Amino acid sequence: MMKSLNRLRGAIWPRFHRNHDEHLNPYYTFQDYRQTWGMTIFILMMTALVPLVVMTLIYYQLIETSINTESLLRTERLASNARRAVTFFLEERLAALTFTVNEMGYDRLTNPGRLSEVLRNLKLGFGGLTDLSVIADTGTQVTYAGPFNLEGKDYSNQPWFMECHQHNACVSEIFSGYRGVPHIVVAVKSMRPDGRFFVLRATLETERLIQTLSSYKTGEHADIFLVNRDGLLQTPSQFYEGEFHHMNIPVPAYSDRTRAVMSTDRSGQPILIGYAFIDTKIAPTSFILMVVKQKAGMMKVWLDLRSNINWFFGFSALIIVVVITLTSTVMVNKIFQADRQKAETMVAAERNCQLASIGQLAAGVAHEINNPLALINETAGYVKDLFTIKQQYKEDPDLLEHIDSIIDAVARCGTITRQLLGFARHFDVQTQPINLKDMVADVINFHKKEAEYRNIKIHVDIPETIPLIETDRGKLQQIILNLVNNAFQAIDNGCFLDVRAEMDGPEQVRLFIRDNGCGISEEHLNKVFEPFFTTKKEGQGTGLGLSITYGLVQKLHGNITVQSKTGQGTTFVVTLPVQIKKETQS
Amino acid sequence: MKVLLVDDEQKFALMLAKRLALREIQTEVFFSGEKALETVQQGNRFDVAILDVKMPGIGGIELKRRLGLLDPAMKFVFLTGHGSKMDYTAGVQEAENYLPKPLQIEELMETLNRLTEGPTAAADLDG
Repeated sequence: MMKSLNRLRGAIWPRFHRNHDEHLNPYYTFQDYRQTWGMTIFILMMTALVPLVVMTLIYYQLIETSINTESLLRTERLASNARRAVTFFLEERLAALTFTVNEMGYDRLTNPGRLSEVLRNLKLGFGGLTDLSVIADTGTQVTYAGPFNLEGKDYSNQPWFMECHQHNACVSEIFSGYRGVPHIVVAVKSMRPDGRFFVLRATLETERLIQTLSSYKTGEHADIFLVNRDGLLQTPSQFYEGEFHHMNIPVPAYSDRTRAVMSTDRSGQPILIGYAFIDTKIAPTSFILMVVKQKAGMMKVWLDLRSNINWFFGFSALIIVVVITLTSTVMVNKIFQADRQKAETMVAAERNCQLASIGQLAAGVAHEINNPLALINETAGYVKDLFTIKQQYKEDPDLLEHIDSIIDAVARCGTITRQLLGFARHFDVQTQPINLKDMVADVINFHKKEAEYRNIKIHVDIPETIPLIETDRGKLQQIILNLVNNAFQAIDNGCFLDVRAEMDGPEQVRLFIRDNGCGISEEHLNKVFEPFFTTKKEGQGTGLGLSITYGLVQKLHGNITVQSKTGQGTTFVVTLPVQIKKETQS
Repeated sequence: MKVLLVDDEQKFALMLAKRLALREIQTEVFFSGEKALETVQQGNRFDVAILDVKMPGIGGIELKRRLGLLDPAMKFVFLTGHGSKMDYTAGVQEAENYLPKPLQIEELMETLNRLTEGPTAAADLDG
């Protein structure tokens, strides 16, 4: 389970996230590909998303401002219309009373029969009147027409009466008075012939006024009502009635024209308030017309739209994020892979260079050392000959041992100089057609006895379809010999050696030499082709075998790679061109 | 057995000649190809010539060609200080008669014995 998860992660997770080839690090263009990746994504996202976010916010701001302005205007217009209706309602009735009082005069109005007739006519003309009465300047009701018997009542202490005395006319607040039913009193003052004044008073039902106001109500969240200047509700409010019939929002500041403002209600919800202080031409009133709308209700269309825009915005942002992430990942990975190839090439080039210069040095050293070595060898040999052949010192094993050790040392140095010279030699490559299968068989033949003795299974699989290779026989032979030798040294008795070949396109052939021996540790894997690198004990290996092989493969215009796991074995892969291309002549 | 030894490394050649002499092989030493040619031209006969491949003047390979013309029965052993046998396989017939320096005297003796035994008679018959 964990394994397949890891494999999935490996397939999705880009290569640069698990870069462990530290030997390539100095050759990379970007040192930290994860950081480059992160920066790329960050910059691209900022470039794409910041303008989008800013534009959206500005757009929201503009829309909201324009909606606010529009809402205020509409609220103000509504309040203005309602104000006109209420004003007209009151003015109309005041005008009717003024006309009646001027036309009829005190004497006729105090006649109860006439007063009832006037009431009937007014009811027919305007409706909404309950009763009509004439009140003397003492505040005592003189004549009354209407359903209640209120004759003789004293109104001198009523606020409306005092106001009427001052202003010639008045409109009361809505109150219940003696009868216990909400009503408005409108009254006009007139003079009697004897110079004293009297008041014609009418009681208006509030029903009509409430109906008039209700007709201006628009939408579910709108409320329209009258309050007095202390905030006491004059007509019922649907949403804003607080304690003791007071409205639960503050009384607006005085203004002589209709206004609309933004505010918040008691629960903090934004509201729009349109208001107007109502004054008639004939008498002032204490009414304030209130139009209150919940902003949320008016903004609903916009909020719905905004929610859609938000969804769209979120979805777009998500797509942008995904596309940028994927694109960046793919691009950075591509760059990483190209960079990695470049780094590998540079490492290989450096190694070639190193190998070439070491080769030249090695050849020089080998030449210089080889002649004295030969001389030492012959001289020591001669001394030994003298001892052994001339019988004189034959019995002295000590001397012989010393001389033998000199000769052994020379032989060992001789091996090194010979290999160094082979490594450095630049003989022309002489090509001839070679059957790879036969050549491998020849090389394996060298080791047949050893394999039988050590119980090593050798498996060779070279298909007949592999064509003849145009290459240098001697060099190819040595390459295969070196690699097979190498494998034989690496494996224990009873292991196996697998030699396999396959075509790599029509132009190249690939030769695999695989063993299940001790393997090469990761730290050593990069160094196996370096000259003088050996893990064998001193004196047992020269550390030149694989570097010579490497040089030979290069000379044949091929390529050699190695894969290995400690304890599991090693595979050398030699890729060779089927035909060595002639070098272009300059 | 009479051997002609040609090598420009004088000390080496003399020392090798001494060792061969100890093994009862009559050896004449020359330090250049020209001197060796002269001797053979004067009518001196040798069974085997041991030649260094790289010498100033006439090199081993060229010397072998010229000596072969003068005495077709002569056998040749090459000495080389420049690498192993395998590198010389291309282009040279007698690959088995190449011996790298430093020498193993036993190897040289074996080669000399092999050359002067069986094949000599056959070569004579062919000639």
